[in-house]
Formats: sequence, C-alpha cells, structure tokens
Amino acid sequence: MNSIYDPAFWSRLQFAFTITYHYLFPQLTMGLAWFLVYFKWRALRTGDEKYNQAARFWAKIFGLNFAIGVVTGIPMEFQFGTNWSEFSKYAGGVIGQTLAMEGMFAFFLESAFVGALIFGERRLGPRLHFLAAVAVATGSWLSAYFILVTNAFMQHPIGYQIESNGLLGISSLSAYLSNPWAVIQFLHNQMAALVTGSFVVTAVGAFYVLRGLHQTQARLYLRAGTLTALIASFLVAFPTGDQQAKIVGRYRPVTLAAMEGKFTGGSMADVAVIGQPNVAARRLENPIEIPGALSFLAYGTFQSYVHGLDEYPEDTWPDNIELLYYSFHLMITLGTLFIVLMALATLQSWRGRLEKSGWLLWVLMLAFPFPYIANTLGWMTAELGRQPWLIYGLFHTHDGYSKVVSSGDTIFTLIGFVGLYFVLGLLFLYLVGREIWRGPDEEKVAFVKATGLNQSEVSPA
Amino acid sequence: MIATWYSIVSFMLIVYVVLDGRNFGAGMLHRLVARTPEERREVVAAIGPLWTWHEVWLVGFGGTLLAVFPRLMSSAFAGYYLALFLILWGLILRGVSLEVGGHINDHLWHRFWDSVFVFANFLLAILFGAAAGNLARGVPLDAQGNFSMAFFTDFRAQGYVGLLDWYTVSIAIFAAVILAAHGATYLTLKTEGLVHDRSLKWARYLWVAVAPLFVVISIETWIVRPDLPGHAIYNPFCWLGLIMIAVSVIALITGLNSFREKRAFIGSNLLLVGLLITGSGAIFPVMLYSTLAPGNSLTAYAVASSPQALALAFIWWPIGFVLATVYFLLISRRYVGKVTINQDGY
Repeated sequence: MNSIYDPAFWSRLQFAFTITYHYLFPQLTMGLAWFLVYFKWRALRTGDEKYNQAARFWAKIFGLNFAIGVVTGIPMEFQFGTNWSEFSKYAGGVIGQTLAMEGMFAFFLESAFVGALIFGERRLGPRLHFLAAVAVATGSWLSAYFILVTNAFMQHPIGYQIESNGLLGISSLSAYLSNPWAVIQFLHNQMAALVTGSFVVTAVGAFYVLRGLHQTQARLYLRAGTLTALIASFLVAFPTGDQQAKIVGRYRPVTLAAMEGKFTGGSMADVAVIGQPNVAARRLENPIEIPGALSFLAYGTFQSYVHGLDEYPEDTWPDNIELLYYSFHLMITLGTLFIVLMALATLQSWRGRLEKSGWLLWVLMLAFPFPYIANTLGWMTAELGRQPWLIYGLFHTHDGYSKVVSSGDTIFTLIGFVGLYFVLGLLFLYLVGREIWRGPDEEKVAFVKATGLNQSEVSPA
Repeated sequence: MIATWYSIVSFMLIVYVVLDGRNFGAGMLHRLVARTPEERREVVAAIGPLWTWHEVWLVGFGGTLLAVFPRLMSSAFAGYYLALFLILWGLILRGVSLEVGGHINDHLWHRFWDSVFVFANFLLAILFGAAAGNLARGVPLDAQGNFSMAFFTDFRAQGYVGLLDWYTVSIAIFAAVILAAHGATYLTLKTEGLVHDRSLKWARYLWVAVAPLFVVISIETWIVRPDLPGHAIYNPFCWLGLIMIAVSVIALITGLNSFREKRAFIGSNLLLVGLLITGSGAIFPVMLYSTLAPGNSLTAYAVASSPQALALAFIWWPIGFVLATVYFLLISRRYVGKVTINQDGY
C-alpha cells in the first residue's frame, strides 16, 4: 500500500488533487451567490444604483469563478468510472442516484440561469435578473446537498441493502437522502462556503479603502462582508462544527480518536491545543492540553469516556493519522481566529472606525486565502478520517480502484491535470486580479459604453 | 423497465450530441466563417450563454448511467481510460476558451483563444465520433466484462481492437463532417451578413459531403457488424429513426435552397436524432459488444441496477426533466433570433 507501484495510491492522489482544486471554485460560487442575491434584492427594493454596481462587479468575478468550477467539475464525475470502477460497480446503484439528481435538479437550474445572470441584465430586466441570481444560488446549494448526501453515504451508509449479486442497492431513497450525517455536513460545509465568500468580499473592500478608491462600493463590501463573515464563522463552529464532531464521536469513535491523536481511551479526555502525534511510539509529543474538554465536547459531560485507538485493531485506523490530526487541528485553529478577527472588524465597523483602522484593513485584505485553507483542511479531515474505507464499514478503499488501469496511466493523467490546472490557476488569478484592479466604477463605464445606455434606463424605476 | 432506462439514457446522450454538437460544429468552422474579431464574437454569441446547460446533458447522462447501469459505466470508463481523459481535457479547453477568450481586448489574446477553441472542438468531434464507432464495432471485452484498450493496434476491426481502426476512424471523420454541417446550419439561423453567407456556403458543401460519407459508413457498419441490420428491422425505434432521417433530408434540402434557415436547422437536428436513434435501437440490448466473443458482450439486462433502484430513479427523473426543460424555455426565449453583438457579453 501507498507505494508508487500501487495503482490505488495514484488514483487516490489524482482524485484528491482534482477534487481539492475543483472545490476552490464552488466554495466561492456558493458563498458569493447569496451576495449577488442580496445586492440585486437591495437594488430592486431601494433603487439605489450602488447595489446594481456591486452586483455587476461581483457577477464578473462570479462568472470567471463559475467557469473554472464547471470545467474542473466534469472530470470529477467521470473519475468515478475511470479510476474507481470497482467502487462504481459496487455502489453505483446508490451513489449514482444522487450524482444523477445533482445533474437533473441542480446543474440544469444553475446553468440555465448563470449566463443570464452574468450577461443578461438588460435582456432580462431587473425582476427576472434578480430571480436569475436566486436560481443560481439555489442551484449551487442544491448541488452541494446532493454531493454531500453522496459523501455522507460513504461516511455513514444508510438506506442501502446488499443485493443477491453482492452489489449495493438502494432500500430507502428517503432514508438515503435524509441521512443525518448529510444534513450536518451540509450545514457545516455551506457555512464554511459563506465564510470564503464573505472573506473575499471583505478583502476587496479593504483593498479599495486602503487604495482610496471606489469608496461607496468599498464601504458596502466591507459592511456586508464583515457582518456575514462574523455570523458564518460563528455558525461554522457552533452548532454545525460541534454537531459534526459529535456525530463522528457517536458513530465512528475510532475516527475521533485518530483526529484527536488519542492513543489510549479514558474519561476526562483532554483536547490537545498543541501536540504532534507519534504513531510509531503511540503517543502525542509535546502536548499542551485542556483537561476534560474532549469528553465534554464529544459526549456532553466531563466524565464521558472517550475511546482510544488502542481499543481498535490497527487495520481499522485511518491510514494517515498525522495528516488527519494536523488537518483537523489547524482547521479548528483557523476557524477560531476567523471569529476573533471578524468580531474585531464588526466592532470597529459598528463604532464607525473600520475605515480608519489601517492595520485591521491590512489583515482583512490579506486574510482571504485562509478560509480556502480551512475548507480544504476540513475536507481532508473528512476524507482521511474515512480511511481505510471507501464506504465506511462496507467497502475498503483498496478494493475500489480500476483494476484494468495501470499506475503509469494514472500518473500520466495526474501530471496532465497538474499541468493544465496550473495554467488554469494562473489564468484565473490574472483575470480576476485584473477585474479587481479595474474596480466596479470602470465596470459601469464599460457597461454604458457597451450598451450605449445610461444607468437610469436599466436600473429599476 | 430496463428497456425504458436504456431509452432514457440514450435520449440524454442524443440530446447532448445534438445540442453540444452544434457548438462543436460552429467551433470547428469558427475561423473559416468569421474573419474579423467582430465576426468571431458573433459566432461566440451564437453559441450563446446556454452552452453550460448543453454540457449538463453529458453530466446528467454520466450520473444516470452510474445510477441505472453501474456495471457498464465501470467497465467502459475504465476501459476507455486515456481516451476519456482526452475528452475531459478537450472539454476543459473548449469551455475555458469560450469563457476567457473575450475577456481582454487584444488581438493576440483573441487569436490564441480562438485557435485553442477550434482545436478543442475538432478534438472533441473526432473523439466523440470515434467513441460512437467503438460502440457499434465493440471492444475487446473479456469473460469478466472488462477491457483495456490501446489507441490503435493493427487497424483491423476484429479481435484485439484499439480505439482507432479503419472503421472507427471513418466514423470519426463522418462525425466531424456532420457536426460541422450541423454547426454551419445553426450559424445560418443565428447570424447575419458575411458570417451568415459563409455559413450557408459551408453548410451546403458539408451536407453534400455528408451524403456519400453516410453511404460509406453504412456499408462499413454492415461489414463490421453484419448482425446489426437484422436487429434493426425488428426494432420500431429504428424505423422511427429512418423516417426521421427521410423527413430531415427533405427539410434540409428545401430549407437550405430556399433560405428557410429554421426549417434547415430543424432538419439538421432531426437528422442527427434519427441517425442516433437508429444506431442505439440497432445495438440494443447489447450496450457494449465484445469483439473477442459475442458471449462476453454486456447487455442492458446484465449491467442494470436492482429493479428497486430503477423504479426509484423513475420517480424523480421525469420531474427533473420537466424542470430542466422549463428553465431552458424560460431563458432561451430571451435569446431567440439573430444575435446582435455589442449589447451583452454574449
């Protein structure tokens, strides 16, 4: 296992790389979509042109982001067949349901309206344009739900039966779709996407204030961004993150033990604030711990017993405990810092001093990559924590890869993706950077130039 | 139930080919029918803001295939490993060049992305054509229903075949020509002026070329799979397909000659649908034919999910389909008629 001659290792790496890269884009799409809805709604209600300007500016960035999300998303579904064909054969009857529903219910909705949202302001008129924003936002969140149901089935399978041919079949579509794991994971993940979206909006606002440009727009972004970021950062931690950890503790104590680096069980279990798991020696190095916190957080009382890894056979442990531990802990650290930072920003904004707090604006401007990191770490926790299973308790990861595809073929396609995605990344950063550099006001001028219309003719009366 | 699902899955793939096929066609002809930057923007505008909606039919097809015929997806996707990644990369390049090509107003930038766009569309038309040829000819399935295929072997259409041989290459060429004709017909409907006139000229040339090629590939198919015409005779869908082909030929000829672009475009769509229905009807119930031993072939009955999974999917699929159609109609009626540039990005 995990050797370069093992095709499963390369298929895992390729899926991990392509999904991690892909998910950089949808998380902003899902976060930003509701900002567009908000701006369009305010424009419709107040008739204030600044909201339309904001919507137009962010729609440009949304469009670029959405496009890269679409093109990097299609390989994900195909890879179930190309690289994980044994898994597809085994579980397709179940997970195929939600992958197909995602296409039928979410992608058709999103893709029908996204072009109209980005380019159709004049063609659609203000009311339908607002509805297009709602449709795109709804579509993107629906798509997340279907994907998270699929993932939740792999984390905590319910609603299935094993058919006479040994393959999985679905026994209850409603149980499958309302998997409690999926509901919690969905809420946690969507709040995290809102964190990314609001940090990006805030960062652009801070950038304009610091440059002394587009002041009206900058104030709008900063106000809407910091408040949303504070609420979303809080909701990521509590109740959604808290519930997510509790459900892991309830159904998969071995995963929780690995996430926390608990090699031995006990009551009054500590949470390590700092520490490095040493799997070979079965201990946590240089731990700084909060006594009893883990017992309380996972099971509600300080006396609760928390299982340790030593209670489980080693072949049921996640196969990369160190990485799992670091991912989980760094995610929590970042999440906590987000709450602190945005509480400060909201306080300063409420006191009317945010635009004069130069140091805070610098931090807000530079903070936007960290929600991307935290989202990625969260998904690494979920997926590394699921190991060594592809479907927890039912199907081993090592049984799922395509037997007819050699590791060389997969290395080749992996390198292809790395190269192509590197270029896509450069392209995306350059084009988005260019839009941000040009800013919202010139956007308006370009719009007038392109349409030959004054803003008053297209804005709601 | 299994036959119904076979029809639904074929339907989704056919809708995809017809809708995105016109984009591939318009894309392949992009540099030929449009010479100036403005004209090229017109072609891109004709492809329109719904190209992602078109592409969703492919995604929906993939998901549905996994849900209802998981063993087929498992065997075919792994077997076509490298070819599928070429398709994926082609789709990425096509999408990116369409989205970013207009972002910067610079002639080198335009020229670069235009070329990427043309290249990606050619690649996709050829690869989808070769894939169709592979479905008709079959693949070297072993007794377990698995295969792994080289790009090409000895170019013969029997035994250990590769992705490309004389038969699949000719289907690929046919696909590129017919999709280019389809795209050119679409452009006559959506554009005006010089682009329209050049598109009309290309549409006429290309449809004239389709006719002899069609005869050639029909004979070739009969040589490679002599059993197929026998199947087709007993399948009402094949008859439906043949009727559609006959009607579409009349619509195309009269439409193109009398400048009734809408009629020609309907004919063009109908022709593709007719061809694909005939093809998918003729191979049924086999979904993947084995060139090694006919007994190894994967039939729809052997690769289907449990009856329960099929029944459950049959509840939500029609709802999703109706909704998807409603969204499409809601938006597409705002984009009817000739495109005019300089009003929206599209």
